[in-house]
Amino acid sequence: MIPDDITENLDNKTREIAKVCKSLNISQWEIIAEQSYGYELDIEAGKITMASGGGAGGFGIRIINDGKYAYTYVNSLSGIEKALLEAKKICDVSPSIDGFELPSNSDATEVKGMYDKSILSVEPEFLLSQGDDLISHVGSLDSEAKVTGGGIGVGVTASQILSSEGIDQAGLKSSHGLGVQVSIDKDEKITSSWQSYSQSGLIDFIPKEIDEAVHWARVTRNVVEVDKGAVDGKVVMNGGAFTPLFSMVVPSAIAGEKYYNKESLWSGKIGTRVISEELTIMDNPHLEGGKASAGRDAEGVPTNVRSLVSNGILEQVNWSVRDSAKAVQQGLVESASTTGSAQRGGYQSVPYTGNTNMFITSKRGNNSTEELLSKMGDGYIVNSVMGAHTANPTSGDFSVTTSSILKVEEGEVVGALKQAGVSGNMAKALSGIVEFGGDVRPRGSYSSGSVYVSDVLLHEGVRINPA
Amino acid sequence: MVVKRINGQDLRRSKILDRDKISKSLEQATSFGASYAELRLVSSNSTSMALKDGQLEKSIPANDVAATLRILADGSWGVYSTTDLDSIANAIESTTKLAKSVASRRAKGDSPITLAEVPIINDEIHWKTQRDNLDLEFDQRLEFLKELDSAVSDDDRIVSSRSGWSDEHIHTELLTSEGMDRTWSFQRTLINTMATARDGSDLVSYRTRAGGEGGWDVIEAVDLQDIGESARKSAIRLLSAQRAPSGTMPLIADPDLTGVYIHEALGHPCEADLVASGDSCLAGKLGDKIGNDIVTVSDDPTIRGGYGAYPIDDEGVDVREKKLIVNGVLKEYLNHRQTAAEFGLEPNGGARAQDGLHHPLVRMSNTVIHGGSYDTLEDLAEDIQYGVYACGSRGGQVDTGRGSFQFAAQEAWLIENGKITTPLKDVSVSGMTLEILKNVNGLTKEANLAGPGFCGKGQTVPVGDGGPIMRISDALVG
Repeated sequence: MIPDDITENLDNKTREIAKVCKSLNISQWEIIAEQSYGYELDIEAGKITMASGGGAGGFGIRIINDGKYAYTYVNSLSGIEKALLEAKKICDVSPSIDGFELPSNSDATEVKGMYDKSILSVEPEFLLSQGDDLISHVGSLDSEAKVTGGGIGVGVTASQILSSEGIDQAGLKSSHGLGVQVSIDKDEKITSSWQSYSQSGLIDFIPKEIDEAVHWARVTRNVVEVDKGAVDGKVVMNGGAFTPLFSMVVPSAIAGEKYYNKESLWSGKIGTRVISEELTIMDNPHLEGGKASAGRDAEGVPTNVRSLVSNGILEQVNWSVRDSAKAVQQGLVESASTTGSAQRGGYQSVPYTGNTNMFITSKRGNNSTEELLSKMGDGYIVNSVMGAHTANPTSGDFSVTTSSILKVEEGEVVGALKQAGVSGNMAKALSGIVEFGGDVRPRGSYSSGSVYVSDVLLHEGVRINPA
Repeated sequence: MVVKRINGQDLRRSKILDRDKISKSLEQATSFGASYAELRLVSSNSTSMALKDGQLEKSIPANDVAATLRILADGSWGVYSTTDLDSIANAIESTTKLAKSVASRRAKGDSPITLAEVPIINDEIHWKTQRDNLDLEFDQRLEFLKELDSAVSDDDRIVSSRSGWSDEHIHTELLTSEGMDRTWSFQRTLINTMATARDGSDLVSYRTRAGGEGGWDVIEAVDLQDIGESARKSAIRLLSAQRAPSGTMPLIADPDLTGVYIHEALGHPCEADLVASGDSCLAGKLGDKIGNDIVTVSDDPTIRGGYGAYPIDDEGVDVREKKLIVNGVLKEYLNHRQTAAEFGLEPNGGARAQDGLHHPLVRMSNTVIHGGSYDTLEDLAEDIQYGVYACGSRGGQVDTGRGSFQFAAQEAWLIENGKITTPLKDVSVSGMTLEILKNVNGLTKEANLAGPGFCGKGQTVPVGDGGPIMRISDALVG
């Protein structure tokens, strides 16, 4: 899948760029290099329609001089000197931040399980067979169900960070993921469900998410009539519905710059209770094979397992190198330093403050699905929502819609709603009683942080508005 | 080498691919059994900038060059995408094999993929701009951003202002085994801002954008002071806004929100690749009455200045206006060559790829509802006893198969007894495509493209949406 000399080749090119930086008398520089290879296949209308392969990569360079910085990126080395000269010009006229320097090198934890060598030997034929298996598996669960969309992807990324301050780290990461849109089109009514699964190692099994996609396409066909009018009450949100809403609000609330600039809904609340005392939120970049695990952050700073909210008390916020220096210079905070929380959206992106693998746990955890429904009594199960990106991160308010919702009476599912609005406030919902299931799964992307969460029973803070 | 090396020549304005070598490679694909092969190269010169509270946060000049080789063999696709242009020549055989492997799995009853015929054209189209982004200097960009940002932050209750700039010059070359050889280029420019206001524990944000297809004249033509002030005033107004009522009620949407509504509710289900895959509620409905008589909707990449404008689609097909709905009747799907062949329709230039690393999908461009008979907002509101007037978009989403959609407004007001009254916040609207198009019962005469936007469908592309001020008799508001 990848050339044998990929790491050596990337290293050579990175050091070439370093030479150019030195020749241009750039005092501090940091080079992020990435090269990915992989195969993908597309499934549409119950069949594999396309297979693709290829590779992409490039180099992002951050330069710093007297607290001023600039960034540029290129696909190849042919235009590197011109790009760096332009970056130097920008650097010269950028605002200076006292104390903003690239981090120096220090030891970092090696995180295991991020690279599965067996993925290197994956050929397109393997993916095609896996696609066949997925399609036939869905058909075996329900003859009316069809994979109307989705696909499978497998890839390996070689990356490197090299800086003038002695950071020199290279590595390989692998990934294998699949997603399916399962639809049942019958009696002039389409119901559907999207589910996906991914991991760093080779997937050589049919994940249970595929069965769940079929399940939700089936159970939402039995639509029951309910009284119109909004209802405030208990709701079980599956991880796929809860995570996008949670991710719009909480990571933003604990970003250091936003917190101290009074742009966070939790600004000024470090050391005080912000959510239920039964809840704890951790960030664990060292999770073996974790979706966003890394021994170093996107600036090369060693990462640590950190408690963000402990028993409902906000303990600390996240910082990257530049954001912390800038907040101090602006007088937003007396002192701050990086917490190893820099993230990047690839070599094209400057570092920003974010999280890695975020875990939210409750003292009321590890419930079976039946227990959660029994504790809810009357309420709703929401499997997925549309429009989570429209949630308001500064207030925690959300107002989304769902066509994947079941009505529950006395702990038993009685049928589905055709469509419903789901609104509320995430901070308020997490301040009430929150109970979790036992099936903790990662949700979200590799690059921008993920949330590990099970199904969630929210006792308050959510309103259901049947259409 | 498939790339020409021309010393001293500005490659941002020149053809990049070596025609002879690419033509030979594409011929080679046909000798391996391909019925069709194409190579599309995209070179993008771009600069993105951001200001935070008046201070430069970042300025990133970049050049991205990538290419996608697409091969149709035995009625299935094989694709190879890369930033390493020199690797393309060696990928011809393996990509053809990939296509054949996919084809070998096709069930007996399934039809092979074919492509609708299109004119084979050899030409160059370069959309001219009044102010070329390639000549724009760092200081000029900064000047624009500072003008916008200063207008946003001029109030103690604004705790932060974040403003952004993006300009790009997109150069595309497409060569096919059919003999097509087209080169085109155009530019896009965008400026945006977000005002965050705080009063005690109340914290709100308002964001807005301006821009479109074209060079920096697009930004020169807008009143940045006005945009900034408007964002500031809206953010401050939201501080005292009430939570939206929940329930089914009449809704009036401004042109911006009208555009997002029609994009989500109708545009996506009209994409023929979704229709073909069984994931559209409009499958089999061409010619059916699906909306009120007053609803006419176009998708038109030829609207110069619209953020979704482009001169040629990413399969080399000439573009034109597509009339999706005329007086409530579904007239046309958005197509690319594959779906046009599948449905026996004319290709209409709807193929778009995010960049050189992606293959084309069926996408929207500039999508607008045509104007109606009402003169003003007040005329539309006159008969409403209790409803909502919603403005600006915070985005939307659609489940094309079920036909359900959701979109959120930036700000809104209650309508009481025909009058616009109390400010509201966090208003979202949801509904079912096939129901709500029939509930559109009032449109103002004037219809224009509103702000620029982005559309995600696995790939992200710039789009323009808009229309008149629109009234819906029954919408689910939350």
